Amino acid sequence: MGIRARRRVAAIAAVAGAAAGLAACGGESSGDTPTLNWYINPDVSNLEAYVTDEDGNQAPGGQAYLALKCSEESNGAYDITVRLLPNDASQQREQLVRRLAAEDESIDLMSLDPAFTAEFANAGFLQPIPKEQQTQLSEGMLDGAVEAATYDDNLVAVPLWSNTQILWFKKSVAEKAGLDMTKPVTWDQIIDAAEQTQTTVSVQAKRYEGYSVWINALISGAGGQILEDPQDGKDAKITIDTPEGKAAAEVVSKLGNSSAAPPALSNADEGGTVASFSAADGGFLVNWTYVYSDPNVAPFKDDLGWVRYPQTTDDDESRPPYGGINIGVSNYGKHTDAAYEAAACLTSAESQKTYAQSSGNQPARSAVYDDPEMKEAFPMSALWRESIDAAAPRPLTPYWSDISTALYSSWHPPSSVDPDTTPEESQQYIEDVLQGKALL
Amino acid sequence: MSPRRKSRVVWSLAAIAIGLIFAGAGLWLIDRPDLWLWLITGTVFVLTGAVGLAIGDNAPQISWASIVGAELIVLYTLTPVVYLVSLSLKGGNADVNQGGFLPHDPGFTNYETVFEFSLFQHALFNSFGISIISTSISVVLATFAAYAVARLRFRGKKLVLSVALAIAMFPVVALVGPLFDMWRAIGIYDTWIGLIIPYLSFTLPMSIWVLSAFFREIPWEMEQAAEVDGATAWQAFRKVIVPLAAPGVFTAAIITFFFAWNDFVFGISLSSTERSIPVPASLAFFTGASQFDQPIAAIAAASVVVTIPIFVIVLLFQRKIVSGLTSGAVKG
Amino acid sequence: MASTTTLEPTKAAPGGRRAKARSPESAENRLGWKLAGPAVAVMLLVTAWPMLRALYLSTFSYRLTDPDNREFVGISNYGVVLSDSLWWRAVGVAVFIMVVTVAVELVIGFAFAMVMNNILVARGLVRASILVPYGIITVVSAYAWLYAFQPTTGFVNQWLHLDPGTNLFDDFWGSIFVICLAEIWKTTPFVSLLLLAGLSQVPNDAIEAATVDGATWTQRLTKVILPSMRAAIMVAVLFRALDAYRIFDSPFIMTGFANGTAPPSGLVYNAMIQRVELGLGSAMSVLLFLSVLIIAFGLMKLFRVDLSQVRGD
Repeated sequence: MGIRARRRVAAIAAVAGAAAGLAACGGESSGDTPTLNWYINPDVSNLEAYVTDEDGNQAPGGQAYLALKCSEESNGAYDITVRLLPNDASQQREQLVRRLAAEDESIDLMSLDPAFTAEFANAGFLQPIPKEQQTQLSEGMLDGAVEAATYDDNLVAVPLWSNTQILWFKKSVAEKAGLDMTKPVTWDQIIDAAEQTQTTVSVQAKRYEGYSVWINALISGAGGQILEDPQDGKDAKITIDTPEGKAAAEVVSKLGNSSAAPPALSNADEGGTVASFSAADGGFLVNWTYVYSDPNVAPFKDDLGWVRYPQTTDDDESRPPYGGINIGVSNYGKHTDAAYEAAACLTSAESQKTYAQSSGNQPARSAVYDDPEMKEAFPMSALWRESIDAAAPRPLTPYWSDISTALYSSWHPPSSVDPDTTPEESQQYIEDVLQGKALL
Repeated sequence: MSPRRKSRVVWSLAAIAIGLIFAGAGLWLIDRPDLWLWLITGTVFVLTGAVGLAIGDNAPQISWASIVGAELIVLYTLTPVVYLVSLSLKGGNADVNQGGFLPHDPGFTNYETVFEFSLFQHALFNSFGISIISTSISVVLATFAAYAVARLRFRGKKLVLSVALAIAMFPVVALVGPLFDMWRAIGIYDTWIGLIIPYLSFTLPMSIWVLSAFFREIPWEMEQAAEVDGATAWQAFRKVIVPLAAPGVFTAAIITFFFAWNDFVFGISLSSTERSIPVPASLAFFTGASQFDQPIAAIAAASVVVTIPIFVIVLLFQRKIVSGLTSGAVKG
Repeated sequence: MASTTTLEPTKAAPGGRRAKARSPESAENRLGWKLAGPAVAVMLLVTAWPMLRALYLSTFSYRLTDPDNREFVGISNYGVVLSDSLWWRAVGVAVFIMVVTVAVELVIGFAFAMVMNNILVARGLVRASILVPYGIITVVSAYAWLYAFQPTTGFVNQWLHLDPGTNLFDDFWGSIFVICLAEIWKTTPFVSLLLLAGLSQVPNDAIEAATVDGATWTQRLTKVILPSMRAAIMVAVLFRALDAYRIFDSPFIMTGFANGTAPPSGLVYNAMIQRVELGLGSAMSVLLFLSVLIIAFGLMKLFRVDLSQVRGD
């Protein structure tokens, strides 16, 4: 908990990002050193390069630390300043789109959710990477990570880390419910177990991108997908009104109407679900891997268990969500060459290892997984890699934000989902929205 | 019993009853430490009633109904504000998660956090700057227009008033899209001027109304009288009219400032960085110190900070604001 | 003060400078426009121009992040909006908020006005405290109410001993309840001050005469007091109704327009700023503007009063 105490005093930050942070450490750009503005999503330390514990010991922080380190290593080639985006992915996108649409020169680098990478590339917001550099940058990266950063056969952004969700649970609760966690579990099983032990199953089901992540994983887990032919843009074929879509709706509806639903289920984002999982009646949680580094779970770390993402059906293997962050280089920045150099440094194997250790976010490079230090720091790193290999990314379409919004709007709140009607209605709705025939 | 006496007794008893209900409900339902709030509220009402009964007919001009009413009004207006203050004093995530009205572990850490956070400092600076500049320009333009409306006969006067009225009714959100598109095209997106221009347009109607109402009440004959007495037109204007008009201008300025300080829609749509983001927009996009922090208490602290100027203005100038609001019958 | 006269619908036109008419009418015309012109120009600059642009953009299917696919679609965007149940639902939500909040605010506002009219002590204190909700930033008020009603971190659920699972923001009615509550809290002071101004218009002798005639309190209220406050009530209703219809800040903060709480302004924001779908969004902007006009004219017709007269022109 020491980390937390320091952090609270550290810095609160907002969307547009504060000029704080590294200005003090990196030193204002002197002379010719170009300053690169890197818009980051909130992570373990936000704008602080280091996290300090109760005893005053400093440990490297998240992206802010990478920025500091790479700036130092560049020997004056560039100086990176981190600026902070809002907490949730939809708002991160909204901020960036507005500023990039205004051709804002003050964005050089941005941490992009893979789900929106296609849209940004299609809009011309991202500086194209020369082919040879593409090969160089993507070397040694996990296939899934490269795929999620590719649009129209070009690498358009560089994977910084890849992410997946796993099922977190309290061992005591699973034991009490008599649930065998060594075998793959299904959503039905954990909801029943939670009901039986009067605990909760926490899932991100606020009306936001994270809810679409859940639905996408459920549909994929049943062997389906949200759409076919993502490259067709607005004419892509939506495939939610299918048996797989129905299976997904059954899970959502079951949890939504169950006593295992936490009070704020329909309002819960990543942080909110960790909070409800940490509460006395928390039982199960699906969330990204960084939960392991969350101070909220520190008090009961001995009781904390983890297994692969739950299955939608009894037979099909689960398809965990794929997430993470790609670093994109803005088309409107003033120092695009330096920005690519910086992106290469930020995503190097060494950077990714440091970042994984401090933030709990998984590397996008396969070599880092084999590092002994990594294995020691994260006892579940084998599960991470297995999950990423099995993960189902969200469709790589420029229209994902519309599809996602239409999807989570029509499935929200979870308690209102009807397996017989919701999939059909949402499919129709998404099609109408894409064709400009319906509002969002 | 005279009706006056009867009403006094009735209201005194009502106050005691309200007080007992508060205290009783508190004891019955509310956990510590919030219980104190209920007991204090109850005590105030009971005391009011007791004084009302004891004072006899010695102060017949005081209507006890209105005192009980005033207490209820203050309770109504201040409860959410006091809650924000109390929330902002909560000592940490654990305290916040415990819920309840009053802090269990009070402290000022949230204020430290907020002031260490440079975006918020920038936002305060932006908001003050933008609000003051747009208020000044708006009041000057409105003074001219209001003078014309109140004192001159000219063709199209109705048009001026109709435009003002139409703007006052205009749905602000309908504009942000086209404005965003235009501002980015001409390059004033995320700048002070990009916010000042729309604030001007939307504060002018109010200022014009407030001011033209004031100007109509000014005895303009005095100006003529002064001129007859040998003063030049400029002297007459400066010595006689300006002092009479100044309170109206000041009132218009306060109400205009409130509007600019309050604006959210333009703030979130036309700005995005510390270069121009105003306070309300910065509040909406607070995140915690890390991705694991819920920023509730920090937002509360920031909210309290930005409410302090409002509080000061209201305390100092309440009479002016009320007369301005009702004379122009406008809203900020 | 000024208030007492301007609220009279039948105020005589002021004498104006014409009384001393030193210059021909055209000179006064010119001066009038010289003085009022800049203000009018600024007001139109930010409204008329963007509105015309919105009209133009609304005839395209145009998404900022997909500029290659921009195409002219005529008026079909309007057809899409007007035939979409989401739009009509949003209008319904806004009208609901408008009716509920204005009705409640009139009642509470009248009670407050009565109190303020009668109170002899601590007038300044009460007036200052009633101005706090009026002056407070709407976003701040929205946060206060949002946090107060949060299931674990708030206090209302605890005080009312609600089931820990109760979350008002779970469904439409709960969300709309808190949104209306915040709106009412914030704007009742404005209504009560207007009504207070109206109340001071009521002739005291008329009330006394009615009392002597044996009129009950209710009769005095409905036959004497309210009719003489008509102008004040009308101004309050008109302004508050239009304001409530345009509500944006509170639902944005409290629900992010979830649970079907999006008013038309929320839909416009989503289309324009979030999706950067400029064509469809512009069409909605135009329609939002028209719907406000319709409501304004409807209310004015209802009150059978020319508003510019109320303004004391």
